[in-house]
Amino acid sequence: MCLFGKTVASVYDAFMKRLTADQLSQWTMRYGVRPGAIAGFFVFVAFLWTLLFQHAIAYPYLFLFYGAVMGSAWFGGILAGFLAVIFSSLIIAFFFVPPFLSMTIAEPSQTYFAAFIFSAIAITLVSFALRRSETAVRNARDQLEARVLERTAELQQSNLDLLESGRRLRMLTDAIPQQMWSANAGGIIEYCNQHLIDYVGHPVEGALEEAFSSFLHSVDERVFRQVWHSALETGKAFEVEARVLSAAGNYRWFLIRSIPQLSADGAIARWYGIHIDIEQQYRAQQGLIQAQGKLARLSRILSMGELAASIAHELNQPLTAVVTHSYACRQWLRANPANIERAADTADKIVQESTRASAVVARVRALFRKDDFVREARNLNSLIQELVRLLRDDAIRRNVSIELVLAEDLPKADLDPVQIQQVFLNLVLNAMDAMAEASEPRQLTIRTIKQADSMIQMTVEDRGTGLTPEVAARIFEPFFSTKANGTGMGLAICRSIIEAHEGRIWATESAGGGTVFHITLPVSS
Amino acid sequence: MTKQRHNTDADQQTVFIVDDDASICEGLSNLLEALGMKAEPYSSAEMFFEHWDSARSGCLLLDGRLPGMTGVEFHDKMLQAGSTLPIIFMTAHGDIPMVRKVMKSGAIEFLTKPFPKEELLHAIEQAFTIDRDRRREEKILNSIRGRAASLTEREREVMSMVTAGMLNKQIAAELNLSEIMVKTHRRHVMDKMGAESLADLVKLSERIKMP
Repeated sequence: MCLFGKTVASVYDAFMKRLTADQLSQWTMRYGVRPGAIAGFFVFVAFLWTLLFQHAIAYPYLFLFYGAVMGSAWFGGILAGFLAVIFSSLIIAFFFVPPFLSMTIAEPSQTYFAAFIFSAIAITLVSFALRRSETAVRNARDQLEARVLERTAELQQSNLDLLESGRRLRMLTDAIPQQMWSANAGGIIEYCNQHLIDYVGHPVEGALEEAFSSFLHSVDERVFRQVWHSALETGKAFEVEARVLSAAGNYRWFLIRSIPQLSADGAIARWYGIHIDIEQQYRAQQGLIQAQGKLARLSRILSMGELAASIAHELNQPLTAVVTHSYACRQWLRANPANIERAADTADKIVQESTRASAVVARVRALFRKDDFVREARNLNSLIQELVRLLRDDAIRRNVSIELVLAEDLPKADLDPVQIQQVFLNLVLNAMDAMAEASEPRQLTIRTIKQADSMIQMTVEDRGTGLTPEVAARIFEPFFSTKANGTGMGLAICRSIIEAHEGRIWATESAGGGTVFHITLPVSS
Repeated sequence: MTKQRHNTDADQQTVFIVDDDASICEGLSNLLEALGMKAEPYSSAEMFFEHWDSARSGCLLLDGRLPGMTGVEFHDKMLQAGSTLPIIFMTAHGDIPMVRKVMKSGAIEFLTKPFPKEELLHAIEQAFTIDRDRRREEKILNSIRGRAASLTEREREVMSMVTAGMLNKQIAAELNLSEIMVKTHRRHVMDKMGAESLADLVKLSERIKMP
């Protein structure tokens, strides 16, 4: 018992310690003074009104007190409502129910009085419930309004942000010293940056290829169209080097590069393009290629000169010996008496040295004969296709169309792919050169033919200016060239390569007026 | 003609052949031998310098392209060693810059292989003549220097004054001697130097560049 009492005391202490004076007054205010005051006010008003009107209306007090209860519950909460019920009951019992001015209630009124109490309690509850629900609705509405306001503000902010980021993006695209555009999946231009507009001098609008045709060089435009169409089909990024006309009226080389943006389902949503100025690079590259060409020619001449010098030296040594021995031989024979023995020795030396000279010649010839060719069993068709792919841009620029008529089931041939491609490249470039001044159509036809006698044949046919009989007779000779700056070695090398492959190369007149080069190669065994 | 020189020259002139190609050496020495000349072949510059004696006269037949040493370097080395042996260069291909360098460095002739016998003989003859003249000159100078060395101090003084064109009277005054004494010294100088006249003496002193 003592223990229980201590526990209760300690719990009470702890409770009291937590309950500060301030909290205590709040409590009293909330559950004592405030509901009491509200209930008291309403019941007092109802009492005054009842005193004033009791003689005019029969039992008006009931409604007035109902009103006081309702008001108390509405404004003061359920506690105030119940207090109002108690205050009202006491006042009615004391003042308005017979016997008057006593707390006792006469028998006939007891029922009415009980009914009043119950109905007043019910009114309190209903009024309180109404009040609560009304408050809840109002709170919900307030909250909703607050949130709507909040969201509106947010939306406004995000709109501003969006505008700002759009503006920034535009500034960024204009700040990058490159020309940019974007187009929809079908190639209709949606946007282009200020640099592009400034460079070409007018807004770039509408379909990509139409818009670009106004400022691309006509030759490069064809390349661009082709590349663009194949990009539309394959949906892959592409790049084209092209000359672009500036507002000032001159062309500069640009690298036009475009990548597609894919949507979630993998379809193309948009194309983004960038034009990079490569004029300097292009010029440097051209200069480099020219310099390289010159250097190669020069080094060939130099090495030929050096080779000639060393061959000359190699040959001169035994020849000098032969010459001096010959003089000596004559001198021995002329002596008086003739020294036949020395003369015969010297003649032997002459034979020796002459043999040495011819060995030098044989060695030089061996140097130029290549016996160590690479040989691989390869399909000529695939070699041709590979090379034509590489030459495509060049052909389009030169306005030459290349037609391939390749034999199916072409047997493989033992060949050195690099050398055969070199021959082939030579023939195709020659053909294109031959058609440079010819009128259209500039058609180049490459055929492969399977021949019955274990040979395959390839022909390269152009519609160029053709060959005069004199030229045709000498065309495969070394150092023979019809070109202003030709080395005259191209076709000579072709022939030596083909002959090393045990094949044959010759040229005939084409039915279309140009030249046909024929090559036969043996089929791989 | 060659026979004649062979007979007259006690100390026979030799053609030193330096070429790394044995067959060239052999051919050349065979030819020169057939012509009655003395030839010595060497297959490298090193071997030549090993056996070389600056007292031996003749000329050098040098290949322009020696392994390890260019003809010009060879020539420089010889000059450093104090040789005056004339050089004839041979080369398989006459490249112009080398010819210029070689000729500047003092070669007397340049032959492009293979060369006719006449050209070779002409060059050798020329070289022999140059060498012989040079050696003869050297000999004379040496004898003059020897004679000048035998003069006494006073005689040398007198000689330098005489060759400078001073009169006996002036020399006597300068050296504080009697004119008779000057005349005696002068006679001794003429005798020792082997000069027949004043003009001779002046020439001799010029040649050995006496002060």
